Amino acid sequence: MVRLETWLGTHNVSRASLHSPIPARLRQQLWPQERKLERNRLLMKLKNYRGLMALLVVLALVAAACGSSDSDGDSDGSTNGGPPAVCASDAFGCVEVASGDPIKIGSLLVTTGPNSSLGLDSQYGIEMALDYADGTFDDTNITIQGHDVVLVPEDDGCSAEGGTAGANKLAADTQIVAVIGTSCSSAALGTADKILGDKGVTLISPSNTSPALTAEATRNPFYFRTAHNDTLQGAAVAEFAYNFEGVKTAATIHDGSPYAEGLANAFAASFEALGGTITSQDAIQVGDTDFSGVLASIQAESPELLYFPIFVGEGSLLVQQAKTTLGDSVVLTGSDGLWSDDFYAAAGDGVFLSGPDVSAFAGDAALYKDIFLPRYAEKYGSEPLSAFHAHAWDAANIVLGAIEKVAVDSGGTLYIPRSGLRDAIAATSGYTGITGTLSCNGNGDCQPSATIAVFEIVGGKQAADPVFSVVKSLE
Amino acid sequence: MTPELRRSVRQGLIGGAVVLYLASVGMLVAFDARAIITNVVNFATVLIVITFAAFGYLAGRPGKGGEPAQPFLLAGAVTGAVAGATVGVVAVLVDFLITGLEWDVRSMWTSVSPTLMELLSFGQSPIVGALLMTLLGFTAGLAAGSLHLATTITRKVILLGLMAFVFGALGAPLFKVMLDGMHIPNRWLFDRDGLTITGAIVLFAAFGLARLGSFRVGGPRQALLKVPGTSEKNLRWVISVLALLGIAVLPWIVNDFVSDVLGFVGLYILLGLGLNIVVGFAGLLDLGYVAFYAVGAYSVAILTARSSYLVGGSVTAPAVAGYTNFWVAVPITILIAVVIGVAIGAPVLRLRGDYLAIVTLGFGEIIRTLVLSDWLKAKFGGPQGLTEVAAVPFFGLNTRDPQILYYLIYAFAGLALFISYRLKTSRVGRAWAAMREDEDIAEGMGVSVIKYKLLAFATGAAVGSLGGAFFAAKLSVANPGSFTLLVSINVLAVVVLGGIGSIPGVVVGSLVLVGLPELLREFGEFRLHIYGAILIAIMILKPEGLIPDKRRALELHQPDHQPEKSVLSAEATEGIQ
Amino acid sequence: MTTQSAAGSRYRLFLERFPVRRFVLVLLALVIAYGGAAGSIATLRAGRFSGEVWANLFISGVARGSVYAIIALGYTLVYGILFIINFAHGEVFMAGAFTAYFVAVGLASKGMLESNPIISIGILFVVSSLVSMGVAILLERIAYRPLRGAPRLVPLITAIGASLFLQYTFRGFYGANARAYPTIPAIQGTWEIGSFPVQKVHLISILGAVALWLVLFWIVERTRVGREMRAVGEDREIAALMGVDVDRTIVFTFGIGGALAGAAGILYVFLFNQVIFTMGFFPGLKAFTAAVLGGIGSITGAALGGLILGILETVGPNLFLDGAGVPSPNQLIPIVAFGILVLVLIFLPGGFLGAPDDKSRA
Repeated sequence: MVRLETWLGTHNVSRASLHSPIPARLRQQLWPQERKLERNRLLMKLKNYRGLMALLVVLALVAAACGSSDSDGDSDGSTNGGPPAVCASDAFGCVEVASGDPIKIGSLLVTTGPNSSLGLDSQYGIEMALDYADGTFDDTNITIQGHDVVLVPEDDGCSAEGGTAGANKLAADTQIVAVIGTSCSSAALGTADKILGDKGVTLISPSNTSPALTAEATRNPFYFRTAHNDTLQGAAVAEFAYNFEGVKTAATIHDGSPYAEGLANAFAASFEALGGTITSQDAIQVGDTDFSGVLASIQAESPELLYFPIFVGEGSLLVQQAKTTLGDSVVLTGSDGLWSDDFYAAAGDGVFLSGPDVSAFAGDAALYKDIFLPRYAEKYGSEPLSAFHAHAWDAANIVLGAIEKVAVDSGGTLYIPRSGLRDAIAATSGYTGITGTLSCNGNGDCQPSATIAVFEIVGGKQAADPVFSVVKSLE
Repeated sequence: MTPELRRSVRQGLIGGAVVLYLASVGMLVAFDARAIITNVVNFATVLIVITFAAFGYLAGRPGKGGEPAQPFLLAGAVTGAVAGATVGVVAVLVDFLITGLEWDVRSMWTSVSPTLMELLSFGQSPIVGALLMTLLGFTAGLAAGSLHLATTITRKVILLGLMAFVFGALGAPLFKVMLDGMHIPNRWLFDRDGLTITGAIVLFAAFGLARLGSFRVGGPRQALLKVPGTSEKNLRWVISVLALLGIAVLPWIVNDFVSDVLGFVGLYILLGLGLNIVVGFAGLLDLGYVAFYAVGAYSVAILTARSSYLVGGSVTAPAVAGYTNFWVAVPITILIAVVIGVAIGAPVLRLRGDYLAIVTLGFGEIIRTLVLSDWLKAKFGGPQGLTEVAAVPFFGLNTRDPQILYYLIYAFAGLALFISYRLKTSRVGRAWAAMREDEDIAEGMGVSVIKYKLLAFATGAAVGSLGGAFFAAKLSVANPGSFTLLVSINVLAVVVLGGIGSIPGVVVGSLVLVGLPELLREFGEFRLHIYGAILIAIMILKPEGLIPDKRRALELHQPDHQPEKSVLSAEATEGIQ
Repeated sequence: MTTQSAAGSRYRLFLERFPVRRFVLVLLALVIAYGGAAGSIATLRAGRFSGEVWANLFISGVARGSVYAIIALGYTLVYGILFIINFAHGEVFMAGAFTAYFVAVGLASKGMLESNPIISIGILFVVSSLVSMGVAILLERIAYRPLRGAPRLVPLITAIGASLFLQYTFRGFYGANARAYPTIPAIQGTWEIGSFPVQKVHLISILGAVALWLVLFWIVERTRVGREMRAVGEDREIAALMGVDVDRTIVFTFGIGGALAGAAGILYVFLFNQVIFTMGFFPGLKAFTAAVLGGIGSITGAALGGLILGILETVGPNLFLDGAGVPSPNQLIPIVAFGILVLVLIFLPGGFLGAPDDKSRA
C-alpha cells in the first residue's frame, strides 16, 4: 500500500493534474479513489496473467529466431558444402555469403562538408559501374553467382578521424568484401588503409593522389588506387608551363590541405628539374577571402605563371583578385580540385586547369562519351560534379572482376578468400577501363602511367578539348 | 473565434511551417529512401506524421495558470488539419509557380525537386494531394489529441513503444551488424536497412510491456529494492559495481566501430575533465582548449613517430630520431603542455570573462597555424602532418584495436575523474570556487589569484595534452586538420551541456555530444544540422545542464533568478511576456 | 589562511615588492616589438614592395576592416545589453547576403544592375538587411529569450548550436556550392584620388561603413529607443521599473544588429563577390575579435577594432614577417592578428575603448 501511495503521489497526480480532461475541482474530488480502484483492478488482472504473457513473448521470440536462422549467413548446419580449402589456407579467411544474401562492397568517400562534391561524384561512378557490369543500365545491380551486389556507402569526412571512424564501421561488418575509397589521402594514410588492411579488407581509391600512399616505406599491402599519383600531375603541369606556355618563372600557392601542398611541391620540383625558376612558394588559409597580401608578395617577384592547386571557395576569389593585381600577362593555372561549374562561372575565361584527360580517356572512349556521360546526366541531373567518377567506375569494375575470379561456391554459400581477392586485384594487368589501360604495379598504383591534360576555361565553361595533353609514367 | 480555437490554429500554422521547413531543406526527400518498416513505411512519412501529431498533442494540452482545459480531441484535430492544409496549400502554390508561371523555383530553392512535389501530393494531382495532406493532418492530430483521454500509463506506454520502434528502425543498419557480429540470428527483426513487420511489433510490445512492468513496481529502483537483503545503501554499491562491470564488458558486446566511438567518447571525457577544471572549477572561459590537445598529439608524434612526412614522393629524415616509447613520451608531453599552459596563462591573468575567451581562442588558432605552417614544416610536417606514430605499447597487446585501446583510454579517464574529484573538494578546489565567485573578495581573503589561476591552466593543459597523446597514438597520425576551433567548441559544449563544474556531467555530456554525431551518421549530410538543433533544444530544456553541479544549481535557484521560467519550453514562456 | 608557511609568505612578500609578472610582460612585449620592428625594417630595406603596393594593401585592409567593423557592431550591441556573445551573428550576416544573391540574379537578368545601379544596390541592401533582421529576431526569440537568467555560458552553447543549425539550414535551402554574385558594372574599375587609383569597391565599402556607423551612433545616442537600449544595458531591472519595455528593447537591439549584418553582407559581396553557406563563420570570428580589440560594448571601439584588424591582416604579414625570411608569411595571418591582440590586451585589458573591469564573468 505504501508503495502505491508514493507512486501515485509522485507520478500520477501531478501529471494527471496537467493533462486530465476533467475540470479541476471535480478531479480533485474524484481522482484518488477512482484511480486507486481502477489501478488495483488492472494490477490484479495483470498479475494473474503475468507468467503466461512472459512465456508467450519468449516463445514468440524463439520461434521467430528459429524460423529465420536457417537462412542466416553465420549459422551453420543447414549448409552442407562447408568452406573450401582455400579459406583455411588464406591468412585472413573467407567472406562467407550465404545463399540469398548480398555481396556487400563498401565505399568510404567524403559525402559531407565542403568537399562533398568530390566524394558524391565517385559514389555515382561506383553506383553506375555496379549497374552496368551486366552490360545494361537498368537500375538493378549485377549479380555474381546468384548473389546481388550491394553498395554500403560510408563517409570519410576528408580527415584522419573521419577515415578512422568510417573504416572501423566498415571493418566491423564481416560481410564487407572490399572497400572503394577514400576520397582524401589524409583519410587513408596510416588510418583507413591500416584498419582495413589489418582485417584483410582491400581498399581501392578512386581519388587519392598522395605519393606517400604507394611509397615503398609507407604503403599498406591491401591498398590500391586507380587515381594518378601527384608526381604525375605535378610533372605534367610543369611540362605544360615550361614547354607549352614557354614560361621560365613560376610561383605556387597552396591552402594548407595535404592535396594542394603535395601537388604544389610536386610541380615545383618538376619545374625546377626542367630548368625553370620557382620565384616563391606561398600559402593561404582555408576560409580566407582577401588575398591582397599574398598576391602583393607574389607580384614582387613577377613570375610568369601562378599555379594554385586549391579548391573552389578560395580558388575563385583568388583568381578574381589575381586578375586585377597581377594583370593579364600572368598565366593562371589550377588543378582538378577546381573542376566545378561554380568555379568556371566565377573565375571567367583565360584560366587553365589540369587533370585527367577526360576528353580522350586512353581507355574505352566510346563507352565514356556515348554511354557513361548521358546516363550520368540522366540519373543525377547534372554534369559530373568532379573529376574522379571514371576512376571510381574503373575501381569498381576491378573489384567486381577480382571477386568473380576468386569466389568459390560451396553448397549454396559463396566463399571469397580475402588475401586471394587482394592478390587478384594486384594481378590486374591490361584491364581496359574508361581512364586507360590499367595494370597495378607492385606498390598498388593501378594507373602507373596516365594521360594528364590541361584545359582552358572558355565562355564560362571548361573547354571540351584540352590545350595540352601528355602521358606520364611513374619511373 | 474563441481563444482555444485561435491557439489551435496558431499551433497548426507552426506545425505546417515545420513540415515545410523539413521539405525545403531537403530532409523529406532524403529520408524518403530510408525505411522504417521495409516496404511498408519510410522515414519521411513518419516524420510528417510525427510533426502533425506532436503539434496536435501540444494544442490539446491545458494552458498555463489554471486556464481551463480544452476539448483536446477537437483541438488536436483542428491543429492537425490546419497544419496539413498549410502544407497542402503551399504545395499547390509552388506547383502553380512551377507549372503555371514556369518559374524556375529550383534555381533558388534547390530542394524543391519534382520528387519532393510528388511526395507532398502523394503522387496525385496537387489539389487532391492537398486534401489528402489535410486529411492526414486531421487524423494524426485527432489520434494525438485522443492520447489526452488515455490514462497516464497508457499514454506513456504507447509513446515509449513508438519511440522504441522508430529508434530501433533508424539504428537498424548498426544493430544488424552488431547482432551479426555476435552470431545472433536477426533476420526476423531487421530487413536490410529497416525493420520487418514482426520486428516493429516485437519492439513496440517489448518496450511497452517493459514500461508497464516498471510502472507496476514503481520503477526499476523500487524493483531492485524489493529483492531481499537490499537497502538504499548497498543498492548504490550494487549499481556502481554493475556499472563498472558494464563498462568493462561493453567493448565485447558491441563491435569495433562502437568501441571506436566509445574510445572517442573517452578522449572527450579526458578533454572535458581538463576543461572543466579551467572553466567549471576556476571560472576561466577558455575557447582555445584545442591548443593543448594539439600540443599533446604533436609532442607524442614527434617523440615516437618512426618516419616523418613525405614531400614530393621522397622520404625525408625523421624530425627527431624517433622510437621513443609512448610511456616515456607521455610525461615529457605533459611537461611541455604545462609549460605552454603557464606561458599562455601568464600574460592574460588580468583579463576577465570574454576578453580571456577571445585571447585563448587566439592561442588555439596560433598553435594550429604554427603546426600547419610552411615555416615550421621541418618540425611538424606542415599540412601532411606527422605519420606513423607508434601505437601504445602495452604488454604486447595490439593497442590499435579499438577494443583494447578502450581500456587504456578509460583507465586514464578514470584517473582524471579521480583527480578531478579530489581537486574539487580539496583546499585548491575551494580556492578556485572562491576565485570564481568573486576574484577581488577571494584575493582579499588571502587566495593568491595568480597562483591558483596558473595552477588551473597548468592542470587543464596537462589533462588535455594526455587526451592529445592518446589521440595521436590511436590514429597513428597528427594532422593539423584535426585541431580546429570546432574541437574547442565541442569540448566546451561537453562541459556546459553536462552541467558546468559537474564531473559526472562531463561523462554524460561526452556520451551525448560525441556519441550522438557518430550515431547520427545514419542521417548522412544532415548530421550537423540535427546536431545543432539538439544542442539548442537541450540547453533550452535544461539550462543548468544534464547533471548539474550541486553548488551551481543552488546559485541558479536563488529566488531572484527565477530559473523555473527558463526551464519551461519556448512555447510555455509565451505567457511571461 | 593563517596557516600559510613561512616560505609562502616570503614568496608573497617578494611578489609584492618586485613586480615579477609586470617585468616578464614588459620583457615579452619588448621582445615581440623588437621582432616586429626588425622584421619591418628588413622588409622595407629589401625593398620588394613599392610604396604603391603598401598603399594598395593599406586601402584593401581598410575596406576589409570596414566590413569587420559593421559586423562587430552587432556583437557589441548585443553584448552591451545582454552580456552574451552571439556566436551565430556570422550566420545572420550570411543569411542576408545569400538571400540577396537571388534578388541580384533576378535584377541582373532584367538588366537592372546595368541600367539602374543605384536603385538595384538599394534593393539589395534592403532585402539583405530585412532577411538578416528577421533571422536575428527569430534567433533571439527561439535560442536566447528562454535562457535569460541562465549562466552566461549557456546562451553561448545555444549560439554555437544555432550557428550550425543556420549554416545547414541555408545549405538545405540554397545548395552547397559557392555562387558568384553578378557583377555591377558601375562599381567596377578604379577612381583616381589625386593621381592615385583606388578600386571603386574599396571606396564604396569604406564610405558605406562610415554611413552605417553614423546611423547607428545617432540611433544609440540621440533617439529614445537608443536611450532605452543603454538603460537596459546599464541595469535591466531598474530600466524596467522606469517604464522601459525590456523585451521590446532587446528585440530592437537584435533587429538593428541583424540589419547591420545584412548591410555588411552586401558590402562584403561588393569586395568578394561570392556567397556560400559557410561564408559567415570566419568574418563572424574576425568581427568578434575586432569587437574585443576595440573594447566590447563600445560602438566606436568596434569600428576602431575592425579597422585595425583589417589593416593588420593585409599589411602585417608582409611587413613583419617577409623581411625576417619566414616562408609563406600570409599563411600566418592568425598569428599576426592574435599576437597583436594579446599584446594590446596585456597593456589595455579592456581593449582600446572598453572598461578594463567589465561586470561580466564566465
